[in-house]
Amino acid sequence: MAMFVTKRLLMALATVLVVAVLAFLLVHAMPGSPGAVSLGAGASQDAIDQLNQSLGWNDPLVVQFFRWLGDAIQGNLGSSLIDGRSVSADLATRLPVTASLAAGATILSAIFGIILGVTAAVRGGFLDQLIGGFVGLLVALPAFWIGVIFVYLFAVQSSVFPATGYVPFDVSPQDWAMSLALPVITLAVGGAAFIARQTRASMLEALQQEHIRTLRATATPTWKILYVHALRYASLPIVAGIALQFIGLFGGSVIAEQLFAMPGLGQAVQTSVSTHDAPAVQGVVVIATVVVVAVNLVLELATKFLDPKLRAS
Amino acid sequence: MIPTLPATPRKTALTKLSGHRLLASPTGLAGTLWLAVMVTASLTAPWWLPFKTEDQDFTAVLSGPTAAHWLGTDELGRDILSRIFASAAETLGTSFITVIVGVGLGTLLALAAANSQRAEGVISRVTEIMMSLPGTVIILAVIGAVGTNIPLIMAILGVLISAGIYRVMLGQAKSLQNQLYVDAATVDGLSPLAISVRHVLPGLATTIVVQSALIFAVGLLIQAGLAFIGFGPPLPQPSWGGMIQSASQHVYDAPWLMVPTGVVLALTVLSANAIGNALGKAPNAGASHLPSAAIRRKRAGQAAAAAAATPAVRNPPAAGKLSVRGLSVGVDGGTPLVTDVSFDVEPGTVLGLVGESGCGKTMTALSLMGLLPSGVAVTDGQILWNGKNLAAATDRDMEGIRGREIALISQEPMRALDPMFTVGYQLTSAIRRLQSMGRAEAGAEALGLLEKVGIVDARRILKSYPHQISGGMAQRVAIALALSGKPRLLVADEPTTALDVTVQAEILSLLRSLVKDTGMSVVMVTHDLGVVADICDQVAVMYAGQVVENGRTGSILDQPRHPYTLALLAADPHANSAHDMPHRLATIKGQVPQPKDWPAGCRFAARCQFAGSACVVPVPLLPSGTETGLVRCVKADELAVEGMAWVATDSAVHQHVPAEVPARHRLDITEKDMA
Repeated sequence: MAMFVTKRLLMALATVLVVAVLAFLLVHAMPGSPGAVSLGAGASQDAIDQLNQSLGWNDPLVVQFFRWLGDAIQGNLGSSLIDGRSVSADLATRLPVTASLAAGATILSAIFGIILGVTAAVRGGFLDQLIGGFVGLLVALPAFWIGVIFVYLFAVQSSVFPATGYVPFDVSPQDWAMSLALPVITLAVGGAAFIARQTRASMLEALQQEHIRTLRATATPTWKILYVHALRYASLPIVAGIALQFIGLFGGSVIAEQLFAMPGLGQAVQTSVSTHDAPAVQGVVVIATVVVVAVNLVLELATKFLDPKLRAS
Repeated sequence: MIPTLPATPRKTALTKLSGHRLLASPTGLAGTLWLAVMVTASLTAPWWLPFKTEDQDFTAVLSGPTAAHWLGTDELGRDILSRIFASAAETLGTSFITVIVGVGLGTLLALAAANSQRAEGVISRVTEIMMSLPGTVIILAVIGAVGTNIPLIMAILGVLISAGIYRVMLGQAKSLQNQLYVDAATVDGLSPLAISVRHVLPGLATTIVVQSALIFAVGLLIQAGLAFIGFGPPLPQPSWGGMIQSASQHVYDAPWLMVPTGVVLALTVLSANAIGNALGKAPNAGASHLPSAAIRRKRAGQAAAAAAATPAVRNPPAAGKLSVRGLSVGVDGGTPLVTDVSFDVEPGTVLGLVGESGCGKTMTALSLMGLLPSGVAVTDGQILWNGKNLAAATDRDMEGIRGREIALISQEPMRALDPMFTVGYQLTSAIRRLQSMGRAEAGAEALGLLEKVGIVDARRILKSYPHQISGGMAQRVAIALALSGKPRLLVADEPTTALDVTVQAEILSLLRSLVKDTGMSVVMVTHDLGVVADICDQVAVMYAGQVVENGRTGSILDQPRHPYTLALLAADPHANSAHDMPHRLATIKGQVPQPKDWPAGCRFAARCQFAGSACVVPVPLLPSGTETGLVRCVKADELAVEGMAWVATDSAVHQHVPAEVPARHRLDITEKDMA
């Protein structure tokens, strides 16, 4: 187990490093030098060159990368070319927004997805077909379209929830929850559909295992076979599916943040990409990767812990 | 000498099959139609669109559907229908780039990984990293570098997605690569590349089509999402995502605008998914061991009807005696698997159900416990046990009987135990349930049971998970589990087949002593005549869903009356003593016919050395003349008088099978297990 954890930790570290290099290269491939971006149109070439020189833009790429990496390890991701603000500080205020969105959507997806999937697998017949059709529809509807419809239904037609904006938790927990409601539900629709499919398939596979017959042969009550033994067997792929879903939702929050005007990481990527704000793009890509990889690692360890074969070895 | 290669599944055959499956599913058909309409409409758009994409109609801004504008207009009075279809070709086309790159790269990676272990190690690591990346964020960073060059972005998206495709394909590619004909091709000197292309790739064809359809849908959604947040084709060029974005600005004053583009996008995605799902549906997924609630309800209704229809049990057999009368088991669709099977098991005796696999032995055994797999049911006959007809019992009735009166041991002990729970948990919870004991008492009983089945370090085994113990040990645990409710009848489905030869003997002697000590009876399913001779008092030989001969073990083994029994004995190396071991063991030509191919007459006639014109009529099971035995052969008397023997012939099928192969392996060669 310790061996396994070490290996996974090294993999996670490697992943972040690969992405850091990738982000660095992408940013260098962006059109326009940082000087030009920072000073805007109308700046003299001399001024641009001077700024590029002082930012170290003309140094060899390797030197620049390790300088960035050294700073990043100390928590300094540079400053924005547009408004000069510290990228780290900016992302620190944005991370909680996206994290609440993605975590909320993942939890909601997991709850509804597991309930729907288990019901479809266990009940079968017409209900299974009904859930299958419903889930198929939800998978096909784009999140941004669903989001707009939700705004129309719950904010325009009946002002149950605020249409846009984000209230930090420490300002008002209640308003925080209300401001998150629509974006979280929007993201959770597709997520729940995905997890429902995964759960249904895993449950059906579990019920095909021969040990289920042994359990029936020893008069185990049906509820216990379904919800103790089969669900326990199905839990491994279900948790793996939830981990995948979190990755998707964390990235997918870009759309929800844009739609609901949430000041999160997604909005930061979207604006910094549009304005060619190199340090900001680089910082947000790396931070997003770190979060996703870390959460993935935890969920993966959880999966392995659920598996007696790996736990014992 | 290199043997001729068995035919590789041909690509054409596969696509034919897939095409059939696609058109057979209503949603798959609808999806194909919609996609065909979309592609045709978008390619011919310049010729039929009522308006140009930038035509503005200021008399109808933000209008709903009208005669002039079928799907309404946007905030500049532009025709929605025209804009949707003008941008359709590019949307569909660029999404297809993702499919080609993603599925193409994923398949190549899977082929490479299946080819060499080293490549697999590297590729699996890399794809693992790729799958744990926040893809959307990376794509946006790429857009920062390359701008909104949609084809390029969709190609890079394909690269990111290929990791997932690789995951899906790897298992299948590896199993194809490990096929015997691929080994043969390697020996034949075919290069790895040629093997991948000729033998592995065709086998992946269906998966490739399925994944392509699903990834096409993903590509459409992501492309629209990017356009929605402003990374679509440059304005004023229309795009579906961009149109939904501008519609979302008017959700307050013109909510209709959300509908047309959203519906077209959703329907296109639905269609692609429907095609993927229709093709991807596994044709014969394994049967569930616990049918869904809907099926159980139906089954309960059938059982009640059957119970009402059958007359009350006349002359019920004595307590502890099992009496099966005219039992038939069939697939729900109607194909019979077992027809008109009758036998009795006296208390304290062992009945052997013998025959090749595919003869309905296991189905017969499972029906005794009401544990037939999903989709298979008793269609006729009675199973009389302690005054009840189990064939018409509800699942609820059976729950009172399973474990407590009739218990099961199955073929593969490792798969019979739940891998997620310790042996101790599984055993004590069964004991607590079946014997209504408290926790501590059940723990002691579990320990006692394990010792009774010959496990020495019972305490350690109780704490172990099934994967931590050996096969023989697991079968002992499974037997202990079966004994936990002190049953009067044990149904043992090939309990020694999956075990090593030395362990087989131990398990058989354990079963024999258990029968002696507890006085329970056993129905032993086996295809090993050695097991029959060893432990069974009575034998019922089954062939193609029927009992063909039935009687006391001694008389059946010494004086077989049915040609099939004769053939089985002639083919069994154990039955021939060393000094009169023939030069070549006999074989039975051909194989057990599939249930749908059963003839109306004698079902064995096609493989029988003695078959004649009399064998085409249905054959009843009649007294054989030896003690209480019964036999189903019109020529039985004639053969008995002539004393014919089953001769070893140079059958084409078994020509090269060496004589040392034990009988059960010999039988396995032509067997197709129905269970």
